[in-house]
Amino acid sequence: MLLALTFAVQACRKALPQDELLVFAAASTADVLTEVGRDFETETTQKVRFSFGGSRDLARQIRAGAPAAVIVSADAETIDALVEAKLVRSEDRRSFASNRLVVVVPTGAASVAIHTPRDLVGVVRLAIGDPKLVPAGNYARQWLEKEGLWTEVAPHVLPSLDVRAALAAVEAGHADAGIVYRTDAARSQRVQIAYEVPVERAPTIAYVAARLASADTPGAMRFLDFLTGSKARATLARHGFVL
Amino acid sequence: MAVVSKMIEADDLSILGLSLEVALTATLAILPIGIALAWLLAGWRGQGRVLVESILTLPLVLPPTAIGIVLLTLLSKHHALGRVLSDVGIEIMFTWKAAVLASAVMSLPLLVRSARTAFEEIDPRLLGVARTLGDGPLRVFRRVALPLAWRGIAAGVLLSFCRALGEFGATILIAGNIPGRTQTLALAIFHRSQVGRDGDALRLVALVCFVALAAVYATERLGHRRGAAPSAT
Repeated sequence: MLLALTFAVQACRKALPQDELLVFAAASTADVLTEVGRDFETETTQKVRFSFGGSRDLARQIRAGAPAAVIVSADAETIDALVEAKLVRSEDRRSFASNRLVVVVPTGAASVAIHTPRDLVGVVRLAIGDPKLVPAGNYARQWLEKEGLWTEVAPHVLPSLDVRAALAAVEAGHADAGIVYRTDAARSQRVQIAYEVPVERAPTIAYVAARLASADTPGAMRFLDFLTGSKARATLARHGFVL
Repeated sequence: MAVVSKMIEADDLSILGLSLEVALTATLAILPIGIALAWLLAGWRGQGRVLVESILTLPLVLPPTAIGIVLLTLLSKHHALGRVLSDVGIEIMFTWKAAVLASAVMSLPLLVRSARTAFEEIDPRLLGVARTLGDGPLRVFRRVALPLAWRGIAAGVLLSFCRALGEFGATILIAGNIPGRTQTLALAIFHRSQVGRDGDALRLVALVCFVALAAVYATERLGHRRGAAPSAT
């Protein structure tokens, strides 16, 4: 019966724009890549469609057969795992930007004072991306582990499906503080940066873009080249990404 | 009109459009299967009927995510069914078709149950008369059963459509949440609320309320007339 249904669905096949380049990208790149995508479309006439989410969830979808041509992850591990699974050829990946980790609290209001990492222990609800799914959450966890605070902080963590959801939880006041990227904090008027994690204490943050081995369209490689080109780099810098 | 067009954004309308397409296609896809199953079940007097009915009802009572993960497993390239489909060039996972499939599986039980009840309410003597007049089973079904049961079937179709329109749990697992391709109303509401765009999410809620209300109202009207029919004749 399932087979019959499947074929019935297939019979109703909808003509999809097959020439569209489907790019799966980390939630934290939503604004900047939308802009880069528009520039890319203007320059190449190749249409791009983005699906933004937690990097590892996007990789999971690709492993399950999602027809993406390019994946942009906020960490290298997610791409390494795809290379291991032979879904990405190792020469088809590009590390193109970095970011900073910050602790944010709701703007104004009598929000909790956070001056040192240890102050996070006193936060009732701390929003971070789910460390198993979201690179930003994983970076936050690695940083807190290095500070020796993770076991104390972990019970207060409010995990989210991507970094923007963690930001939204702080904006809405559902969480008293959150750990997000500096670029996420910069785009919101409803949160303020309470503490910026020093580069030497934080894990290495690397944004990596890769073409999927299954993507035989020339557009995928052109997008990678464009993303690492001067025009996209200027856009990334303007949005606060570290190059 | 100007006010309305200001309140609703182009994005909202394309999401609504995609959702309607997915729900409509799912409903059309299950229509022949659902009616055939309902007709067979209504006429089945043998053993095992209750068991088959119970199995067919499972998607209605199981968590949608349970159905989603089963479909995900069956259609993955590591499974025979998924491999066969992939070999003949049918790509379903994380495409528009996956959203249709999820909605179809989840709403099939509603159609089968409504249509079966409608078939069972037909006076068996009418079917008997048709048979004694020499009609074959197919002709009895087409000329007698369908015209008598159409209200119940139509109500079932509308209910299935509503269920398809609201499908979330199975859809997000097998179709993902790709804007413009698989992001239906239910998924867009979830995504917008996740990223703190509550106002934008509520606009979609208003839109889907409007569509659902119209469909449920039509279903109720069909049901009432069916109930009122005996006293009117």
